[in-house]
Amino acid sequence: MAKKQSSAIARVCNHPVVRNTKEAASDATVIAKKLLRSTGKAAWIAGTSFLVLVVPLIVAMDREQQINELESQQANILGTPSPLAG
Amino acid sequence: MATMVPPIPTADDKKVDQKVDYSNLSCPIAFEELHREAMMSLKPELFEGLRFDFTKMLNQKFSLNHSVSMGPTEIPSQSAEVIKIPTANYEFGANFIDHPKLLLLGRAMTDGRVTARVKYDVFDNLTLKANAQLTSEPHMSQGMINFDYKGKDYRTQFQMGNGALLGASYIQSVTNHLSLGGEVFWAGQHRKSGVGYAARYNTDKMVATGQVASTGMVLLSYVQKVSEKVSLAADLMCNYLSRDVTASFGYDYILRQCRLRGKVDSNGVCAAFLEERLNMGLNFILSAELDHKKKDYKFGFGLTVGE
Repeated sequence: MAKKQSSAIARVCNHPVVRNTKEAASDATVIAKKLLRSTGKAAWIAGTSFLVLVVPLIVAMDREQQINELESQQANILGTPSPLAG
Repeated sequence: MATMVPPIPTADDKKVDQKVDYSNLSCPIAFEELHREAMMSLKPELFEGLRFDFTKMLNQKFSLNHSVSMGPTEIPSQSAEVIKIPTANYEFGANFIDHPKLLLLGRAMTDGRVTARVKYDVFDNLTLKANAQLTSEPHMSQGMINFDYKGKDYRTQFQMGNGALLGASYIQSVTNHLSLGGEVFWAGQHRKSGVGYAARYNTDKMVATGQVASTGMVLLSYVQKVSEKVSLAADLMCNYLSRDVTASFGYDYILRQCRLRGKVDSNGVCAAFLEERLNMGLNFILSAELDHKKKDYKFGFGLTVGE
């Protein structure tokens, strides 16, 4: 009885459909892992590059704009035409 | 006032553009400085560790210079891995500048290097330049003398160095925007000689240069001045013999209180260099370089006092 059952399980396991799905599933997990790792790496490179190249630029430009605004405000208060308007 | 002045010269330029006066062209830029604009934004002086520079003006012409640098330095090695050893260095320098006729610079470092530079205008058109470097290591000391002659619409240079190095270059303005040049050199010690050609096209908005040499080097660069404060640069360097090609792209932002330069290149290196003006004569420097391929990351900070 036990032998018959195990052989039935073996037959199900060895069935081409089951085997194919197993292979497909393991392939899918491998590919997914690779994809995840490579996207992670790409994101890491993009993120660190962004941190070095773009973040200082944004900060510098933002401060420049603030200084400009402050100056034009001061010019307005003092009543002289601002250098930006002129 | 500032808005009033510019239209007049630009109108003049346009008139000249329509009819080029070939007998009255402007003097071109020196052959060795052809790629100046591209180098400015693509090759900032990146460093690792700490740097402190102090310049003291003793009088109008004479100044003293002290600088300290600390940090890891790379050792050249065959393996792909980067080997670094921590070093610290002090450099003492003296400058004598009698603008614009004479310039004398001397530097002495604690690791035993001494460098000297002289630039002297012998006549109005003839300039003598000399560079020398003495090191404690044998066969690493160098010396070089250049004679530059500046004509009305051309420049020529003759170069002599140790190791039987001889070189000459010539550059000529062809039109108002285009200049063409060539060079020959002979290195007697290494039994090498070569010729090179270069072209440079510049308008007030862009600069494009190209250079080819018989050593297999091809260098192309392009700089676009987006506005007074912003310029973008790209260059492509190929070496036919060693089969390596590098392309890089960079930006150069000059803001009121800081100057920011950044670049990315095809070797997977991205770098940024920030010079921040904290006060009159006080500059703060930040340098970052990420080499994703070699996993070599360099960060540096520094302070420049004086000037």
